[in-house]
Amino acid sequence: MDNGEPASYYEGIAASFSKVKAEKKQQEPQGLKPTTNDAAAAKKQSEIHFKAAHGLLVTFLSLILVLQLLGIYLFTSGFLLTRFTFDYKSECAVPPVDTSARAYTAGTSKRGCWHPKTFDKAIVILIDALRYDFTVPLSSEGANEKPHYFHNAFPVLYETAFEQPRNAFLLPFIADAPTATMQRLKGLTTGTLPAFVDAGSNFAGTAIEEDNLISQLKNASKRIVHLGDDTWHALFPGHFDPELTRPYDSFNVWDLHTVDNGVTDHIFPLMDAFNTSKWDMMIGHYLGVDHAGHRYGPDHPAMTAKLKQMDDVIRRMIEQLDDSTLLVVMGDHGMDAKGDHGGESDDEIQAALWMYSKQERFGRSSPSFNMPPATAKDRSVAQIDLVPTLSLLLGIPIPFNNLGKPIEEAFIGTQGVDYENLATVNRLTSAQIHRYQQEYASVQSMDEAARAASLTSFKLANEAWDSKGTKAKSEEYAQMYGMYQTYQQETLDICKAMWASFDVPRMLHGVEILAFSLIMLAVYARGLKGDLSELSPVLLSRGGVGTLFGALLGFGVSSAVPDVAKEHAIIYAAAVFGNLGIASALWYVRRRLVSVFPNSIWGYLSVIFTLLLSVGFAANSFTIWEDEILLHFLSTFGFLAVLSSLRQPKTTDRVLGVYHSLLFIILTRLASLSRLCREEQMPLCKSTYYASATSSTSATWQLAIPFIVALLLPTFIRGYYEGTLSYQNSAVVWLSFGLRFGLLLSAAYWALDAADDGDWYPGVGGMLKTSKTIIAQLTLAIAVSAGYPTFTWAKPLLNIEEGKSHTPHPSKQIVPSGNRSSIAILGYSNVHGSRYALLITVWYLAAALLQKPMGAGTLALCCWQIFSLLEIIATNHLSHSSIGPVVLGLLGSFHFFKTGHQAALSSIQWESAFIPLHTIRYPWSPLLIVMNTFGAQILCAVAVPALVLWKQPPRKAGLLGDVARATATHVLFYATVNLATTMWAGHLRRHLMLYRIFSPRFMMGALVLVIVDVVAIFVAVGGTRMSFLSVGEVFGVA
Amino acid sequence: MATTVLNSHPKPRAPASPTDVLPTDTAQLYTHIHPILVVSLYALQFPSIVADPVPALATALVPLAILQIVYVAICLPPTGGTATPVVDKKKPGSGVQEKGKKGRVKGTIIVRQIPVFLSLIIASTITAPLLAAILILFGAPLTTHHLHTLLAAAHISFLSTLPLVYVHGVDGAAWRDIIALLRPVDEVYGAMIGGVVGAWLGAVPIPLDWDREWQKWPVTIVTGAYVGWAVGKMLGGLLKGRKIGFE
Repeated sequence: MDNGEPASYYEGIAASFSKVKAEKKQQEPQGLKPTTNDAAAAKKQSEIHFKAAHGLLVTFLSLILVLQLLGIYLFTSGFLLTRFTFDYKSECAVPPVDTSARAYTAGTSKRGCWHPKTFDKAIVILIDALRYDFTVPLSSEGANEKPHYFHNAFPVLYETAFEQPRNAFLLPFIADAPTATMQRLKGLTTGTLPAFVDAGSNFAGTAIEEDNLISQLKNASKRIVHLGDDTWHALFPGHFDPELTRPYDSFNVWDLHTVDNGVTDHIFPLMDAFNTSKWDMMIGHYLGVDHAGHRYGPDHPAMTAKLKQMDDVIRRMIEQLDDSTLLVVMGDHGMDAKGDHGGESDDEIQAALWMYSKQERFGRSSPSFNMPPATAKDRSVAQIDLVPTLSLLLGIPIPFNNLGKPIEEAFIGTQGVDYENLATVNRLTSAQIHRYQQEYASVQSMDEAARAASLTSFKLANEAWDSKGTKAKSEEYAQMYGMYQTYQQETLDICKAMWASFDVPRMLHGVEILAFSLIMLAVYARGLKGDLSELSPVLLSRGGVGTLFGALLGFGVSSAVPDVAKEHAIIYAAAVFGNLGIASALWYVRRRLVSVFPNSIWGYLSVIFTLLLSVGFAANSFTIWEDEILLHFLSTFGFLAVLSSLRQPKTTDRVLGVYHSLLFIILTRLASLSRLCREEQMPLCKSTYYASATSSTSATWQLAIPFIVALLLPTFIRGYYEGTLSYQNSAVVWLSFGLRFGLLLSAAYWALDAADDGDWYPGVGGMLKTSKTIIAQLTLAIAVSAGYPTFTWAKPLLNIEEGKSHTPHPSKQIVPSGNRSSIAILGYSNVHGSRYALLITVWYLAAALLQKPMGAGTLALCCWQIFSLLEIIATNHLSHSSIGPVVLGLLGSFHFFKTGHQAALSSIQWESAFIPLHTIRYPWSPLLIVMNTFGAQILCAVAVPALVLWKQPPRKAGLLGDVARATATHVLFYATVNLATTMWAGHLRRHLMLYRIFSPRFMMGALVLVIVDVVAIFVAVGGTRMSFLSVGEVFGVA
Repeated sequence: MATTVLNSHPKPRAPASPTDVLPTDTAQLYTHIHPILVVSLYALQFPSIVADPVPALATALVPLAILQIVYVAICLPPTGGTATPVVDKKKPGSGVQEKGKKGRVKGTIIVRQIPVFLSLIIASTITAPLLAAILILFGAPLTTHHLHTLLAAAHISFLSTLPLVYVHGVDGAAWRDIIALLRPVDEVYGAMIGGVVGAWLGAVPIPLDWDREWQKWPVTIVTGAYVGWAVGKMLGGLLKGRKIGFE
């Protein structure tokens, strides 16, 4: 400013300008307010000019947001396959078609609900990862292939199926990807295909709410015993007999024997004649084969041993089995050459299915089928086919959502000619599928042509059935069977297209749009010199025209060419031409273009941080440990800031810079102690966010945190204001009273909440509930109706000191007035920054209430760090650098984790919607959850303009352009992360960890980008309008 | 650290010059052999460090300290009276210096014992705990593995700061410049920067799910520091005299 500091080019101009201004002011009586008409008119005009420039800037940034939204939408619509789930249950008494014509009365589970049952009881043995070729002898074609360790070790299934075809059959059993146990169990029990998002009433939990085999069995009062892998209990809580069931931890893949021995030890006593009356269905889930695969791979002696053990177990079971029990042995998926699974390679999806009965029940449609298929390519059945097959064999209704078909071998009769039975069961199954599809068509649009074709098939089959009545010949039944099968296959294909195949062109186009707008944003943010706000008109007009033109073009092309999907074409063309419009505007102002590549250590650091983080999201480990990586990066920034501060020539800059840099590092590390670990981080991570790793309530000591915050944080922030003598007027009222009172209320809320939860004062629970909600509403009211008006209408935080001599202070502007006395303007040097930063505290108050006590503490640290960062940036003269906005991005992402969140659906704190409300209210409830989840990113986005305003001269030219640059850089950080996570999720769409890691991170990246966009444009840049105009009242709008 | 540095008012000083390796033949030769020796010795002990870091790292400190002492004693000018550079004839402002033509054969073995001793004490009692604190700030475990972290810091300290203390002593102004990256690059300074950057990069493989023994704390950090130190020492020698710019 004016104290001999070497000023940059811009600062120099601004400083001399303000000097002239000050001299002019001297002649005016009050020294501050212009009174002449000319000056007032000029001020008015510059105000109008500013409002126009500001409005155009907000609109242009919104255009970029729209382009990004189009990209995200296009990618998401091709990638996030959604399946809606229903709560409907099939009922025993309500078959999907009339069965009475066949002289069978439906409705009794004793005889069989919809169809006469074949077995009373069943034992289902699930051998995890039992690949089909483990169960068949080495095929003759591969005679020159040497037997591997996994060959010929488990022959019992093949032998029985071959030697006693009426008692047993063995078939390849094809899984739908993803081949992970949890998804497979869902398919095996509900008969549905896995989709990306199972959108139903229960979004967060793992329990299956859809109709399924297990709940149908439970409904029919069957006693179900489960032994082995505990995944079943997460899916079907409370369905199993509590006394006989023995779940085992499934995570330790190094342990090959504990689960298996446990299952074997418990299953044989239960098969004993004394005990068979205690259960109706027994599920034994063996994990040894899977673990041996994960640990050693299939071609290893350990696998031979494991398969031999299974062989022995099954032989013993066959011996002990009674006449009325069905024995099923199956794999839920296979394994690849390394013994892993999750994807959809042949080896991973080809499991085995074997059914056995002491009585002769099964048959083959051709004698040549007595020999089980040599490879999984022949005569395979789908895993979902198990659902109708078991339902009909055990006499329970087919689950409502089932898409599978009855397995031929189980219904064709011992002679292999009972096509009547086969047609009957297929008619029942088809009718249930039809019922389900009718419901489904009402919630999600399907491929119309394909659906019409399948409906025709269904109609034809029914007509054939009705016309023949009960007197059809075997061949005619065989024909009907074929027709029903056609319908089932067509329906399955429709559903697969809808739920299980990615729309790759859409995904690619989405990525293209995101990349294109990222480049435009990068050039805008880092590749233009001068005042960015001047460029809004040309960028906006060309970009806008391009978008509209593109939309029209897309509409035209898609109308002219019938094969082009309309919505897809419009969106893609609009986004591409919008970007082209912006590119042409950038070309138009090409003399202002400079290299986007960094030219200082800080520029490089910003790029390195952003790129390293983005590249890292391609690896699941780096995604899992993102919180630690952010800690590492933030500390690195802090240390470089220490070094940089030490390089400053001015002592005050050095002292302040080093102090705030060290403070920044220490606060980062302090905040890092708050952790909520995701499952994949176990056991290397200890959660501290809640009272214990298994609870989601705060410990009693944590309730003190919000009180401490209420006492200290306003004082600390006040310190930052006092440093530049800006603790004046409204700042005193808001920081010392408004903010503190609001924070105390929010602390009180959490204390009452704990009292209510823990029932500390029995009998006043109702009163506690009411009063805590009122307190929460009051806190938000303070933020919204006291904080925001304060911010909007406050005068600049200045004060005037009159006298003859003034103690010198860098933040005093001394204006001589009259002969001997002079006026000192206190807070002059930080009038913009101090005025704008009030907004950060307003948003902090609102965000803090919605966090758990621990989160309120870490968010307070975040707020404190933001002010430290402002000082670091100011003392190191980095307000034009990209590092400030990027570090705010890192800081926001870091505190996302520190406020008890993870990039996983399960970490969403749904209960935060009920902090100020009793019931779900739109749009407030989702907004509250967003504020809870992304509070840290929102707070940091609000702080972005402060980076370029803190300690800047009041009349510095081009401040609005600086705000635009900083905001665009901040958004650029999130846009890069979003593009990277989008690309990785699209590229790794067949990866084992897609559902658990990559797609949640992609969804988070896209959501954060949109939220930060909205906050940065409308709250942050929007907020500068108020603070600039307020400062302009006094000094004139720059 | 901060306070001592801050109290030193920056007054115009003679521009700092890079440290030269002593012009003796032994020094010129050994300075190149030294990193090979240090890194090979580390490589030799690597399996035992991976197997059980604490005792192995503690043991490995002894040969490291000996080698570093030998290195500074043979190759580097000690601090103290001899630290003031002899006026050399190079033109002011010229980039890379001509190689050691200056007769700076100073200090007998006895005279050098003091800076050697000083540097060993400072590297182990002051900079090692300081570096351990920095490691913790960067995310090293706060409540466990204290010995691991301290030993890692000791290794980095012996590698990076021991020679610097030997050359620059405890001159506050010099250390402010060292921390602020204001000194011209030389092989001692380059080795320090390389060691720190190497340790930073050493953190990269820790989170990967490769299930390797060597991913355990602090093996990768220490390894990164050794490699970075050797590379930095070489680069520092090559780019001697250059200054690091932030802008």
